[in-house]
Amino acid sequence: MRGTMRRLKILTWVVGTSFLLILPWLIPTRMHVAVIALYYAILASSWALLAGYGGQFSFAHMAFAGLGAYTAGLIDKFIRLTTAPTYACTEFPLGSWWLVIQDTASPTCLDKAKATMPMGALIVKLPAWMDILMGVVVGGLFGLLIGALVLRLRRTYLALFTIAFAEILRTAINAERDITGGPGGLKLSPLFPNGVTLLGHEFTAADKLPPYLVMLGLFLLVMALMYWLAGSRFGLFIRAIREDEEAAGSLGVDVVRYKILLFTITAMIAAAAGGMYAHYVRVIAPNMMVIKEMSVVIAMAVIGGMESLLGAAIGAIIIEFALEQLRSNITIGAFTLNMADWRLVVFGALLMITLRFWGNGLIHPIIQRITRRGVAEETVAKRLQPRAATEPEDDTRVKIPASPLEPDP
Amino acid sequence: MIQLEVNDVSKQFGGLLAVNHVSFQVQGPELIGLIGPNGAGKTTLTNLLSGALKPSSGTIYMNGQRIDVLPPYKIAKVGLGRTFQVTRAFRRMTVLENLLVPALAMHPTARQAQFVKKAREVAEFLTIDHLLNEYARALSGGQQKLLELGRLLMLDPDFIILDEPFAGVHPRLMEIIYEYIIETNKQGKAFLIISHDMETIFTLSQRLLVMAFGKLIADGPPEEVKRDPAVIEAYLGSDSDKPWQPERKTPPAAGDRIAA
Repeated sequence: MRGTMRRLKILTWVVGTSFLLILPWLIPTRMHVAVIALYYAILASSWALLAGYGGQFSFAHMAFAGLGAYTAGLIDKFIRLTTAPTYACTEFPLGSWWLVIQDTASPTCLDKAKATMPMGALIVKLPAWMDILMGVVVGGLFGLLIGALVLRLRRTYLALFTIAFAEILRTAINAERDITGGPGGLKLSPLFPNGVTLLGHEFTAADKLPPYLVMLGLFLLVMALMYWLAGSRFGLFIRAIREDEEAAGSLGVDVVRYKILLFTITAMIAAAAGGMYAHYVRVIAPNMMVIKEMSVVIAMAVIGGMESLLGAAIGAIIIEFALEQLRSNITIGAFTLNMADWRLVVFGALLMITLRFWGNGLIHPIIQRITRRGVAEETVAKRLQPRAATEPEDDTRVKIPASPLEPDP
Repeated sequence: MIQLEVNDVSKQFGGLLAVNHVSFQVQGPELIGLIGPNGAGKTTLTNLLSGALKPSSGTIYMNGQRIDVLPPYKIAKVGLGRTFQVTRAFRRMTVLENLLVPALAMHPTARQAQFVKKAREVAEFLTIDHLLNEYARALSGGQQKLLELGRLLMLDPDFIILDEPFAGVHPRLMEIIYEYIIETNKQGKAFLIISHDMETIFTLSQRLLVMAFGKLIADGPPEEVKRDPAVIEAYLGSDSDKPWQPERKTPPAAGDRIAA
């Protein structure tokens, strides 16, 4: 039974990954939607790990994505590596290179310094992956800080605290126009500024396939990491904490530690998705952190199934494609419905119906049906099995295990 | 050798002194009953022992270590385990997963697979082995109580607090719980059992603690406690001159019903 389940899981992964790999050839004109769908899939599934597995209802997930995006954006805008000192900007030696932080003046200190720098001195941006990595670190640090501050409190306080944090962050980014660009947005360089060659085919910076494959890689990496976590003692403990913090604590689980760890890990995942998204769309604005965006991610996870990482990811992908499909107007007789406005109403209605009739989402019950197939039959079969047949004749009951915590050799 | 020292412990909630300067000691694998009328402070006292609540004053030591300042998970690691008045199985986790949680929490470097066999043995002892892959929410109330006891077996504490282990349990399951207590006690574990099932608690306990209005009013062997005037007053009122007899709460056997 367990062997069959294992084979089924591997088959699901192989089929799913193969499908996502050939998707660009199936829908070549919808690649942008596919990239955004994967971005939401990362956010929805990591939120499912936080809220569905861990029971921590955070409204700051998009704020962490924004934190990752803006960290990547700010590094992209202000940080340069040079082979010679500028003597005009704030700078730090890094081996034979200099890490230069530009100012917000126009022209910047680096623009002014170019005239005095030696001929042939190199000025380069950090690679995109390094910006994203820094975003992940910053996201993790904020996650750790917020987690340590608020996770000792009850769930309602976490929700309120994270709403406040998300709004403060968005307002601060809006206000700091000189640094962040404010509501006008912050421009970033593309993931592959000089294009990229894949299997002998050259792609420009504007092509969608390379960023799709990178986002897919991140999605698969994140899913593998989250499944590994969920299947480990970490996953067992966070689910126990979700069920009953006091009982989990009384059984030796360090509740606060695991809650903070979970919050930090999911904040880092959201920041990674945000950083990648920022380099893909190339202009980010504070509205990526509005509560409406957060609601969309929550709704995707809820509709897919909050207690399933795969369910939430599938939910996000299907809903993103459906929302894009629903942009076209619908005409019934003389009446035309502007679906660009109404699609979110449809989405909201679907969310309410799901919550009312399918509390575990629409995808998760299907996955459960497959993975828990045979459990009920097994229970009944074991129950009907005559107990005496497996026991010594002189005893009606099995003896208490002498030392249950001695691990098997 | 288990040593528990409760020194002058009090717990105040606003104007209510729920536990009022309680002191007692446990030396070795004793089987102790804790009784008292509703609101006497029994559950508050167990919450203080397990770290779910912090005392307003007083200290608690276990095996020489002060535990009243520790979080619950550290108290569990020192060797104190408990069940709750209302069962607290992890309902959306399977029975097997419920049993693995304490084992893995106690052994941070051990692998999950190492404890699966032990979990099966524990489940078999508690007669819930056929339910191992079922979610705990599918279990009956009595089976959930057994599951809580199973988690304690996996935690393997030296001192076990059972809060109302017999409440609302079928006589057959009650028998299993009774046997669990006796067998585990034989292995050198100490018990503190809260129960309103007076007949069972008087039969089971070697020592009885009686609480009323937050105070510990009696501490001694069951026969002695039964004759204690303070206990008689707490249960029957100050004007009663009758000797107190524990009330029978267990359901009558089938034969009794026919005879009646």
